[in-house]
Amino acid sequence: MSTITQPEKAVRAHPVDDPNRSAARRSRARAGIARRSAHLIAAWVVTLIFVIPIYLAVSGAFKTQEQILTEPLALPSPFTLDNIVGALQRPDHLIQSGLLNSILVTVATLVLIIPLASATSFWISEQRPVIRGVLLAAFALGLMVPPQVVLQPIVSLLQSIGLANSYPGLILSNVGGGYLSFAVFLYVGFLRTVPREVVEAARVDGAGELRIWWTIVMPLVRPATATVGIFLGLWVWNDFLNPLIILGPLQGQTITTGIYQSVGTISTDYAQLFGVMFLAAIIPVVGYLVTQREFIHGLMSGASKG
Amino acid sequence: MSTRQRSRWGLAPIAGIAIILYAAFLLWPLVSSFVTSFTNSSPLKATSSFVGADNYVELFQDPRLYRTLGFTLVVVVFVTVVSNALGLLFALLLNSPSRNYRVMRTLVFIPQVLSGVIVAFIWRSVLNQNGLLNSTLQSMGLTDEAVSWLGTPELATFSICVVVSWMTIAFSTVVYTASLQSVPSELYEAARVDGAGALSRFRNVTFPMIAPGVTISVTLCLITTLKLYDIIAVLTGGGPANSTQSLAFFLVEVAFTENRFGYSSAIAMFLLLLTAVVAYSSTGLLRRREAHL
Amino acid sequence: MTRTRRTVGLALAALGMTAALAGCSTTASTGSGDADLTFMVFETPALGPEFWDQSIENALTDLPDVTVNKIVSPGGDRTAYAKQLQASDQFPDVLASITPRDFLEAGLLEPFDQDWLDENFILPEANDIDGGTYIPPTNSQVLPLVFYNKALFAEHGVEVPETWAEFVAAIEKFRAADVTPLELAGSEPWAASMPLVGLSSADVLGQDPEWIQKRYAGEVSFSDPLYVGALEKARDLVEMEAYDPAALSVDYATANRNFLDGKSAMYPMGSWFTGSSYITPEQAENIGAFPWPTDDGSIVVPFNVGGTTAVSSQSEHVDEATSFAKAWSLDPANLTVLIETDGAYPMFKDRSIEDFDVSVSGLYLDTYAYVTDENSKVSSFGWVNNNDSLAPGMNDALYALSQALFSDGDVAAQAAQLDKEWDAAVGK
Repeated sequence: MSTITQPEKAVRAHPVDDPNRSAARRSRARAGIARRSAHLIAAWVVTLIFVIPIYLAVSGAFKTQEQILTEPLALPSPFTLDNIVGALQRPDHLIQSGLLNSILVTVATLVLIIPLASATSFWISEQRPVIRGVLLAAFALGLMVPPQVVLQPIVSLLQSIGLANSYPGLILSNVGGGYLSFAVFLYVGFLRTVPREVVEAARVDGAGELRIWWTIVMPLVRPATATVGIFLGLWVWNDFLNPLIILGPLQGQTITTGIYQSVGTISTDYAQLFGVMFLAAIIPVVGYLVTQREFIHGLMSGASKG
Repeated sequence: MSTRQRSRWGLAPIAGIAIILYAAFLLWPLVSSFVTSFTNSSPLKATSSFVGADNYVELFQDPRLYRTLGFTLVVVVFVTVVSNALGLLFALLLNSPSRNYRVMRTLVFIPQVLSGVIVAFIWRSVLNQNGLLNSTLQSMGLTDEAVSWLGTPELATFSICVVVSWMTIAFSTVVYTASLQSVPSELYEAARVDGAGALSRFRNVTFPMIAPGVTISVTLCLITTLKLYDIIAVLTGGGPANSTQSLAFFLVEVAFTENRFGYSSAIAMFLLLLTAVVAYSSTGLLRRREAHL
Repeated sequence: MTRTRRTVGLALAALGMTAALAGCSTTASTGSGDADLTFMVFETPALGPEFWDQSIENALTDLPDVTVNKIVSPGGDRTAYAKQLQASDQFPDVLASITPRDFLEAGLLEPFDQDWLDENFILPEANDIDGGTYIPPTNSQVLPLVFYNKALFAEHGVEVPETWAEFVAAIEKFRAADVTPLELAGSEPWAASMPLVGLSSADVLGQDPEWIQKRYAGEVSFSDPLYVGALEKARDLVEMEAYDPAALSVDYATANRNFLDGKSAMYPMGSWFTGSSYITPEQAENIGAFPWPTDDGSIVVPFNVGGTTAVSSQSEHVDEATSFAKAWSLDPANLTVLIETDGAYPMFKDRSIEDFDVSVSGLYLDTYAYVTDENSKVSSFGWVNNNDSLAPGMNDALYALSQALFSDGDVAAQAAQLDKEWDAAVGK
């Protein structure tokens, strides 16, 4: 992980001019300023075009239906909170119960998968190369299998153990499926960077494996835990097909399936639609903005190790 | 000896739980799906029996397979190419430590954290007949009639490609941005001193350094598009005339709308094989290229 | 060491809690003595959440030990959703307006007793499939009717067409005047099929009312000239630009609005469109309706005896579910709402439309005459719930075909494909 911060420093050093260069360089610098501001403007234009759909949805959440239709690109005027209030006052409590259910599923999945995956990864790292190779190959499969391929057998399995259409069923299938593979690979990759001496020293002191894992390994792999937490949290939160089929309609919806099931009838009432979307999206977006640093670092560490 | 033993058994119970869960929810379903693919199992029928390779024979004669496969490949290729090309461009454009560029990078990444359902609903409001795109085009006088963005097989396919790319571009951008930032600036300086032009600097300095990023970004695009489901479900429902069904969508339809588990398992095996081939060949190919550079 | 134990304990406790949670939820559903039913419903502009909640409450007044949980189908295609629920082990106890035949092979539905049907309904056998009735024949529909905008007809000097040729002439006239001739909610497959349902009913069943039975017997096929003729007319409508070019991007709510706003002249849709939730009394003044036109101008009415509640034979409480379904179907308050908002034509033995305290539009009464008059009624193709219902999955095939006609003019190949799918569906 420590290697990740370094490149940024290197980039920061990049625009700083070397004072030893001559006057010719100064005129080039002036041209450089013009070029840089042109670059800045171009970058902003491209970025803004790219995020227009987000702007439409966010501004639409605070506009009237009429203004959305007549001036889709304008700022909200009059500014209205009706859409937000309306979404929160729906008789089916779509937003409130959906968010609550999503939080339940996401948190329970993470609370189970993080200790399971980190302990398993530590255990795997300590195995003989043959066993390690076999286990990692088996876990690699989970990174690739499209969730649709295993969905119906999972439903049948849950039926046979009496967990069909239940939160425990959904949570267990999250914990045992491809997400576990992702977490294990991330931890195993990260554990390679942990110096073996630290673990060996603790062993010599007579510490048990559980204690070593929890008091020594877990703090060392904290960056990996952050990555696992952020990514799996996001994926489980945004998951659609599993809650749609495994959880079903009777136990209440997660926010994602809830929107899918109930928004169809208001799909042309953009004001209402955007109000609901705004509230549904706000938690992952704010979560992303808050954890942005870890998010992007995690992405790179996960990626470069995969 | 004693330490070795401890190290082997101390965490074994927890690892055992994880392995059992993984076996139950990933490995067993694969086996079970493979076995089911040789039966005519369906919850709409009273009995189920072994039918040999019938499902596979039917699958390879089913025009739906070729239509969904064709659509899937179009989306996979379009999305992978577009999101990597534009992602790299974005990364080059936005690769600067200043505050402005940081804000832009933050904005560009937002689509990636939204769920496919929300993205598809937003785009549906943009693309449908009275949608915001058509009303904008009409008010600017660019078209007289509403364009049927989701209504013809070609345009609907194109629309789905655009929407999926919109999500994956964000991801590619971040991967490439991070790759670019790992290029030591001394390398550029050295190349500049050697008199290398911008293009040659990109080819000889930047590109080799971001090659691992290419592998990651391309592979993830491939895997993401091969399992594409939610955007299709919301944006077109697979229509018009089933022209925008991905293989994964087809599989879910057969499993959960036609309730033919035997047949859907055969489709599942096919999708699995396709994903395996694509994933391994792409990582293999790209890795080899990385080594060459 | 203690910290380690605590954390491992925590993880194990979480696992245990998951298991315990599972235990609770399973015991809760089987433990109580009273019947706790699930009822799958669907929402339309007419039948919103309030209607379903109120109607369930009405039906439960005489069933004190029964409680009902509503499950709402996410789209209009409730049969598809019912299958999804069945595949994931949550087939509801009672289901609203599904296509029963798809569920009969596995014996998933419970028939209603004939005495009760004979006692209550004008056409007690209207929904009979091989000797069993799975949906009470409470009300009827004509679908499609062709609704038209009277003002636009007057403005462009178009007479109400009676023959196919006059219909085509009207379409061409509106097209020339830059008015969309036919509205179509093409993005929703069932709605996209309305013209094809009209053609299959009026042309095919109008000529040969036994056609579907003969198709089951293998005596006729979709590739015969009779059915291909209907398909060709459906394709002709696309080619003569009868629809908006973006018709397949139009959803149902938008199509309804387009038509009522006068953006299109005609609209093939089910008779429920006469209900107050689709059309206000003032709007109804300006709207007329005619049956799908035939070549010779004879009137053929595509008729469907509807009904709502089907009962699962897999229910743990089949008796209570049946009682609930009967109570729901006979409740006058429910029918009143269905008549007013959803344009349902009542089919009760002892109660005609006058016996219901309803206020309906002139449009409703005009179209109701097609039901009460002596005329040539045929099964509404793909919509009826009796022996004339199509082989499982064929409705979806027709829906998809209706959309495919927009881009694919190879009618013969499409007819052959229908035959292939039919044979696969009955042969399986």
